[in-house]
Amino acid sequence: MSPFWQQYLPLSIILSSLLPGLIIFTLKETQVKLRISLNLFGVGVKLLLVLLMWQAVKAGQQFYFSLPFLPGADLVLQGDALSLLFVVLSSVLWLATTIYAIGYLEQSPLRSRFFGYFSLCVSATVGLALAGNLVTFLLFYELLTLATFPLVVHRGTPESLAAGRRYLAYTLSGGVILMLGVALLHSLVQSPLFTPGGYVAAAVSGNEGLLMLAFALMIMVLGVKAALLPLHGWLPQAMVAPAPVSALLHAVAVVKAGAFGIIRLVYDVFGVESMQALQLAQPLMLLAAATILYGSWRALAQQDIKRRLAYSTISQVSYITLGVAMLGPLAAVGGLVHLVHQGVMKITLFFCAGNFAETLGIHKIRELNGVGRRMPVTAMAFTLGALGMIGIPPTAGFISKWYLGLGAAEVGQNWLILVFALSGLLNAAYFLPVVYRMWFLPQSGRWPAEQRLSNRFETHWMLLLPAIFTAILLLLMGLFASTELSPLSWSQLIVEREFRHD
Amino acid sequence: MMVVLLVLPLLGTLFMLLWPKIAPLLALLTASVCSLAALQLLFLVSEQGNQQVLLAGWPSGLAISLEANSLSSLLILLTALLQLLVGLYAFATHRRDKLGAGFWPLSCMLQLGLTALWLSRDLFNLYVCLELLGIVAVALVSLSGDKAIKPALNYLLLSLFGSLCYLLGVAILYGAYGVLDITVLAARWQADLPSSIALLLMTLGLMLKAALWPLHGWLPAAHAAAPAPVSALLSALVVKGPLFILCLLWLQLAGATQVAAVAPWFAGCGLAALLLGGVSALRTPFAKNMVAYSTVAQLGYAMLALGLLLRFNQPLFAAALWLFVLAHALAKAACFLAIGEITATLGGKRINTLKGASQTMPLAMFAFAVAGGSLIGLPPSGGFLAKWALLQGLWLQGGQLFWLLAIVLATLLSAAYVFRAVVLAFDRADPVAPDFAPRILPQWLALLPALAVWAMALYSEPLLQLLKQEGL
Repeated sequence: MSPFWQQYLPLSIILSSLLPGLIIFTLKETQVKLRISLNLFGVGVKLLLVLLMWQAVKAGQQFYFSLPFLPGADLVLQGDALSLLFVVLSSVLWLATTIYAIGYLEQSPLRSRFFGYFSLCVSATVGLALAGNLVTFLLFYELLTLATFPLVVHRGTPESLAAGRRYLAYTLSGGVILMLGVALLHSLVQSPLFTPGGYVAAAVSGNEGLLMLAFALMIMVLGVKAALLPLHGWLPQAMVAPAPVSALLHAVAVVKAGAFGIIRLVYDVFGVESMQALQLAQPLMLLAAATILYGSWRALAQQDIKRRLAYSTISQVSYITLGVAMLGPLAAVGGLVHLVHQGVMKITLFFCAGNFAETLGIHKIRELNGVGRRMPVTAMAFTLGALGMIGIPPTAGFISKWYLGLGAAEVGQNWLILVFALSGLLNAAYFLPVVYRMWFLPQSGRWPAEQRLSNRFETHWMLLLPAIFTAILLLLMGLFASTELSPLSWSQLIVEREFRHD
Repeated sequence: MMVVLLVLPLLGTLFMLLWPKIAPLLALLTASVCSLAALQLLFLVSEQGNQQVLLAGWPSGLAISLEANSLSSLLILLTALLQLLVGLYAFATHRRDKLGAGFWPLSCMLQLGLTALWLSRDLFNLYVCLELLGIVAVALVSLSGDKAIKPALNYLLLSLFGSLCYLLGVAILYGAYGVLDITVLAARWQADLPSSIALLLMTLGLMLKAALWPLHGWLPAAHAAAPAPVSALLSALVVKGPLFILCLLWLQLAGATQVAAVAPWFAGCGLAALLLGGVSALRTPFAKNMVAYSTVAQLGYAMLALGLLLRFNQPLFAAALWLFVLAHALAKAACFLAIGEITATLGGKRINTLKGASQTMPLAMFAFAVAGGSLIGLPPSGGFLAKWALLQGLWLQGGQLFWLLAIVLATLLSAAYVFRAVVLAFDRADPVAPDFAPRILPQWLALLPALAVWAMALYSEPLLQLLKQEGL
């Protein structure tokens, strides 16, 4: 690969979805074929470029692209192991979500607008993953908010507009505070590249208060997107959005962006030593543990499938935060790998929930009785996802919980193992009854709104295929966790590089 | 070059009055030639430093002197480009909107007044420019017809009052020092009672003319009543003229004790403008009034930056001040053109007119949202650059938590009023007539400055360098 290519690779990964997105905006509603091909072309190119970058980063290469922006803070795109983790996750899941969305939105109005923003949203996410310093991160963070908003309100109903307003109120206030925090940190230590081990260590003595303030401000904001405890309110309400958007919010883009930001902040801005010196980890750990239990507890009480999944996300994403906050290598592996695993599991569950809603009109959990016989493949995928969430081997969820538990023991926080066990029990308590209803209870009355979407399959193949794909993926990630293609070994590589600096 | 920039609009106006039939063509021609000349001037200044011209060969002190530094040449370029853009918009829509033929010569006069203002460094010349601007602006507002008479008259009276205050201040200074050239005056300046009174009178007049809080009452009515291209010019450029003079006065003339006394007041007024203007923009039921109130609020940023600059003498605040002026000019032009286009096409003045606009008029709505992003200060727009400079300055100063929180609050308010409109636009549209076909060109013209303000990020480095050279 020539150096020219290396320099522009991060940028072209972003452009591979941005440009098709911008073209799609200009298309007419009737140009369906052109739109779909553009979309898939973008996905294909992106996956190819990501593959190239993955191979190179694995071999130890770094990618770097910069544009002059603010004094002391250029716009930097950087491809390192951690950004690759998120880039690969979002590009692969974007493929699945795009196919799903094409099937889901067939015949509905305003599709050009939808797919345009859809592509923008993924571009912003990938940009966020590749951001090389805090200012660039801030930029893509705000762009992500803006690109997601039209998707949340896509249906234009009063509920979705209300959800959109709430989403904006949370995330835009967050954005402003993030700007404040980034500006504060910039005034203290400038905004150099994200570096393993952080870059604030030199400024710690004498600036403890301000650094703690900056950390608190930024965690607060990232906590909005990662739905940390008091800031989670927008997520369950955003459920009114169409199913592909929920999938995108929960698994690919928004919530993950928050969690990813927390990882960056803890490891590559502050670094383990400064975190320990400033004693910032303990409060974050407590907050994450509280969110895990609270989310699971609230999920128990939800009767709407998507709402239950939403509260489950609140709980599950905090596993990532918790793994990061423990500041030990094993826990870090658990947190990082859960970023991927949770994404794949949750997207499977949302695909399935969307399939039930589209095909049979099922929105409530009590309506799921006997659905296993009518839609066996979807129900199977849902079951796999649910088992993964509970953490039953050999699914992917087991791997992450195993490492998190080991990590907790390693850093001597044994009470966290109790939290994990309790949360696992709660997970089982809100997922297993659903699975039981699907397979073992007889159908009670007619389906609420049945549609015949396919003659050969239980539902439209474009709705079915992504769910099968991600369900198989989550099984494979669990079964082949020890091979070098797995997210686990990639997380180990990241952690090795993060912790090696000292 | 500077003389060309002044003579061209004057000649243009003359020819327009002689041949009103080709007035639009002449206006566009003048604006484009002026843009090129302004670009030339900017290059000249950035290469060879400040330029000075003494008109008609008189010695310094007697002649009308024109001085161009990098800030003024930047402002001249902005003026010319916006004139061109707004001229194109007006040309594209003048049949539908029944824009009076008076628009063309008047807008050309406006350009003349502004250009002269950016170049003058003499209190009396500045007064003349100010008066010219005021009268032309009132005439432009009254182009809307009968319904605009009341706000226009109101504007005229207040504007005259402001000019008189300013003139009185100039007279006091002339009586005390016998000179009006700002550099000469600054050298002899004494912070005594007459000079303080003169400064206060001039400040009062200028604040009235620039619609700085609490003297902003006339602005929303006048800017909302004017035709869309006129509102764009007024909000983007005209209010910046008195602001420019205000900065000249306080940064170059005033003594240290005077500055120290007034700085907190400026900052306070700026903050009040931000908060109260934002709340008004959020509450008003009319679309154009919302944009006009947003101007009141955004001028608060400039005022705040000026107050902080006077208090801390930190160059970052100067950068913030002028970046706000530039970013706001572009963003507000885009906002007014976009809202004007939407309300004219969909018919209605209320914000509810925007309901479903993301489907019926996606381009114009996009222009509004993009420009709104800069008003909020989302990265990487020009508004963000300005806000970043402001925040950096405050953090570096240390212990300014109050101002920081105030800025956060103000930003949230601006986000609230921008997204109030945007959320409405994402509502399902009411059905439109089958022959509904919004015009594309005016919408693109509204989008252009909005994109330009986001593109400021790409030029932030040379821009900051240009602005850094200037205390003013």
